[in-house]
Amino acid sequence: MTGPLSGFTVELDVYSGPYEWLLALILREELDILEVPLRELVGLYLRSRDPRSPQALRLDTEFVGSASALVLLKSRTLLPLPEEGEEAGEEPASPEELAERLGTYLKVRRAAEALRSRLEANAGHHPSAHEAPPRPGRQRVDRKRLLLSARRVFSRLEEPPVEHLGPITVTVQELAALILASLSRGPVSYEELTRGMDRLRSAVAFAAALSLAHEGSLRLRQPEPLGPLTLERAG
Amino acid sequence: MRPAHLVEAVLFSSARPVSRGALASCTGLSAGEVERALAELAGRYSPERSGVVLREVAGGFQLATNPACSAAVERFRGEARPAPLSAAAHEVLACVLYLGPLTRGAISRVRGVNSDAVVRTLIERGLLAEKGSSEEGQAALLDVTEDFLVAAGASSREDFPPLESLVREEELERVRERLLRGEGR
Repeated sequence: MTGPLSGFTVELDVYSGPYEWLLALILREELDILEVPLRELVGLYLRSRDPRSPQALRLDTEFVGSASALVLLKSRTLLPLPEEGEEAGEEPASPEELAERLGTYLKVRRAAEALRSRLEANAGHHPSAHEAPPRPGRQRVDRKRLLLSARRVFSRLEEPPVEHLGPITVTVQELAALILASLSRGPVSYEELTRGMDRLRSAVAFAAALSLAHEGSLRLRQPEPLGPLTLERAG
Repeated sequence: MRPAHLVEAVLFSSARPVSRGALASCTGLSAGEVERALAELAGRYSPERSGVVLREVAGGFQLATNPACSAAVERFRGEARPAPLSAAAHEVLACVLYLGPLTRGAISRVRGVNSDAVVRTLIERGLLAEKGSSEEGQAALLDVTEDFLVAAGASSREDFPPLESLVREEELERVRERLLRGEGR
């Protein structure tokens, strides 16, 4: 993805990377818009923009467009969903009802503040690191979670598609025989050995050489890393 | 072996709080002996006298490090504390603690905003859990967990001050007055 804002990267608690990928993740609902601090995002853009750039106006316009869409999306997501069976054109709440609701909310706010202090005060307790295994018969298994885990496990056992692969036309044994035959005439370089071979045959030849070296039939000599590799008969 | 030693050993070996019943059952002590052992351990493991403290949390007892030593313990374990909860998360927890178990919709109605994302975070952190479904339909009911009680240092729901005590009646009256005055305009 290369848009006008492709050079703008963001560092947020919930995401770190190109801004355009952040937009894509939000649109694909792989990242919750509620978790994205928009104010921080705007601040990051303002700090990163270069007002002298000839592209400044175009980039600003692009950013304002996408950021406004994020604001709209977030504000819509913040609205509570209507309950099942609840009519959209419901009668507005009476002042008494509103007062009741606000009273409850005020109490919840106070409770939340008290809870914050309580959680903070208790955050420094660390229990023994030893977690005892569940006792037999006490382990509770959630049927849904078990089903989900089983699906994940068994989906990995499915055979991967191989239609795109061509038929295998060479084996390690064949190339091991070829290497041993070449070595009967003296040491041979890997380059010389694989000259004219396709990539598959070259790779299998290397595997065959390693296999022969492992069983002690030949020695591999490479004076320096990535330097020329020479195969010679052992003993 | 003295009863306090037995209780101490069991508590030391467990990361989770251990109930009085479980302590009596595994040590073979009577309820009275367990109670006396716990009283003795509470004195020995008080925050003023020890780096390890005895906590009464989530319906049981737990040995944990003294918060005064937390910096050293966290350095040693090489782990940071989880990020502090947001104000919205505290509100959702307070809703469920005092008014729960509640459905996601009911939490959103109390707060006046959609709270699904916050609920999801709290479930992931093990502080809320689904406990059955509502009578009217299939919506899951959410309740606070044992981990929440441990994190809040509470033995049970009753350990929290009553909701009514958190706001003075005069404050609520002012809210009503403002709303009614606003309607008259």
